[in-house]
Parts: sequence; structure tokens; C-alpha cells
Amino acid sequence: MATAAYPPPPPYYRLYKDYLHNPKSAPEPPPPIEGTYLCFGGNYTTDDVLPSLEEQGVPQLYPKGPNVDFKKALRSLNRDLQLHILELADVLIDRPSQYARRVEDISIIFKNLHHLLNSLRPHQARATLIHILELQIQRRKQAVEDIKRRREDAQKLLAEAVGTLDGQ
Amino acid sequence: MDIISQLQEQVDTIASLTFNMIGTLQRDAPPVRLSPDYPQPTANPPPEDFADQPKLMSAALVKAAKQFDALLTALPLAEGGEEAQMKRIAELKAENDVVGQELQRQLEAAEKELQQVRGLFSQATDNCLNLKKPD
Repeated sequence: MATAAYPPPPPYYRLYKDYLHNPKSAPEPPPPIEGTYLCFGGNYTTDDVLPSLEEQGVPQLYPKGPNVDFKKALRSLNRDLQLHILELADVLIDRPSQYARRVEDISIIFKNLHHLLNSLRPHQARATLIHILELQIQRRKQAVEDIKRRREDAQKLLAEAVGTLDGQ
Repeated sequence: MDIISQLQEQVDTIASLTFNMIGTLQRDAPPVRLSPDYPQPTANPPPEDFADQPKLMSAALVKAAKQFDALLTALPLAEGGEEAQMKRIAELKAENDVVGQELQRQLEAAEKELQQVRGLFSQATDNCLNLKKPD
């Protein structure tokens, strides 16, 4: 059973010999990549955006426009889906050889559904950020109140101590 | 699990119910006589409770669709779109900075007072030690 040894580490370590004494004598790390890059033979892009349905070659069944009413679109797509399933069952009874078109329609509806749900994710991310910021503000205000109260308590104790000492 | 993932899972459930239903019915349905010329085809005996399966499966499908609608109504989609959200985020960030500065000020003042008290305390203890007459 032949096992290959791991490849040796890249020889750049020699450039960092004096890093402890002089951090500037060694080269800077490479800057972050922008745009598309090649990784193990595959093309990746740094711009994480959900490709629109047209780019994937799927017809868009819900009305286009800047602000899509997600709930209404998802509800109407759900109803369309149920009707198409019923149609498929009917087609299989009467004209069984024409199932392909119906199955394709059903799969287009499913792709639209999933695309709509995926495009809700950025909205969810922003809502999560808002929630986290609100929580943080609340915690900070609480901390400010706590510190103020403790300081006042300490001042009171000191005043009492002065009073006790003077009384002696 | 968050509601969007639940919705996505519900869509997948509906899909699997659909193809299970169509597949089961297609596999198990008894054959149909095409025309009076051909003899009645011989049928494989359909499995038990075959008459109930369409009812059960269609009930499950409709229940899954209703569940999807229920989840959809529960979706907390804040109206206003992206611009409103970004504006709110900017407001919250500004408020967070203000509160953060206030917190920083309070913290520094408290630290200063703590140092003062520590200094006084060590002075007091030193005085106590110095004044205590050795027996």
C-alpha cells in the first residue's frame, strides 16, 4: 500500500527570519482578491449575490418590480402548485403520454418558490442585525445605570465613613 | 429553526408528498380496459387498503399546503423594504455610538474613583500600622 508524503511547506518562511526584531523586513500578506478567481480549476466569484431566475433560464412566474410582495406571491404560487398537481393527476388518467409538460410546469413552480424564499434571506440578515443592535443598546444602557448606581452607593458609604470618623 | 428554513422545508415536504403520491398511484393502480376489442387485461392484485391511499395521500398533501400558508402568515416581514431597514440600522448605529461614549465616560470616572479609594485605603492602613504601638 503506497502512501504519498505530504508536499513540503512553501519556502517563503525564509523571508520571515528577522520578523521578531524588525516586522517590516518581511513581505506584507497578499491583499484580498476582488472579482473572480480560479480555485482548483473552478471559477468562483467574490460577489455573493443570488443569480436571478432569468440567468438560470427559468421563467419568472411572480410579478416583477422593485418591491415584490412576498407573502402574496408565495400564496399564489402555492395555489398554482396545488392546481398543477391536480392537473397532472388528471392528465395521467386521460392522456398519460403528455405528462412531461405538466411535470416541467410543476418543477418551474418549485424553482420559483425556492428562489423567492432565498431572496428573503438578505432581508432576514438585516432584520437580525437590527435586533442585535437593539439588544446591544439595551445592554449598554443597563450597564450605564448599574455603574451610576454603584458610584452613588460608594459615595454614600464614604460619606457615612467620614461621618463615623468625625463623630469619634 | 428560523421561519424561512421552515418554509423551505415545507416546500420540500410538499414536493416529496407529490411524487410519492403520483408514484404510488401509478404503480399500484389496476389496469384499464382500452377498447371493447381487447380483452380485459389481467391485473396484479392491488395491495391492501388501496382504496384508502388516494384519500390519505391527498389529505396529507392538502394539510402540507395549509401548513405552508400558516407559516407564511406567521412570517414577520417588516414593511419598508431595504431602504427603511438600512435607515433604521444607521439610526441604531448612531444611538449605539452615543450610548457607548456615555458608558466609556462613566467607566473612566468610576475607575478614577476606585483609584482614589484604593489610595486612601492604603494610606489609612499604613497609618494604622504606624500608630499601633508594639507590645
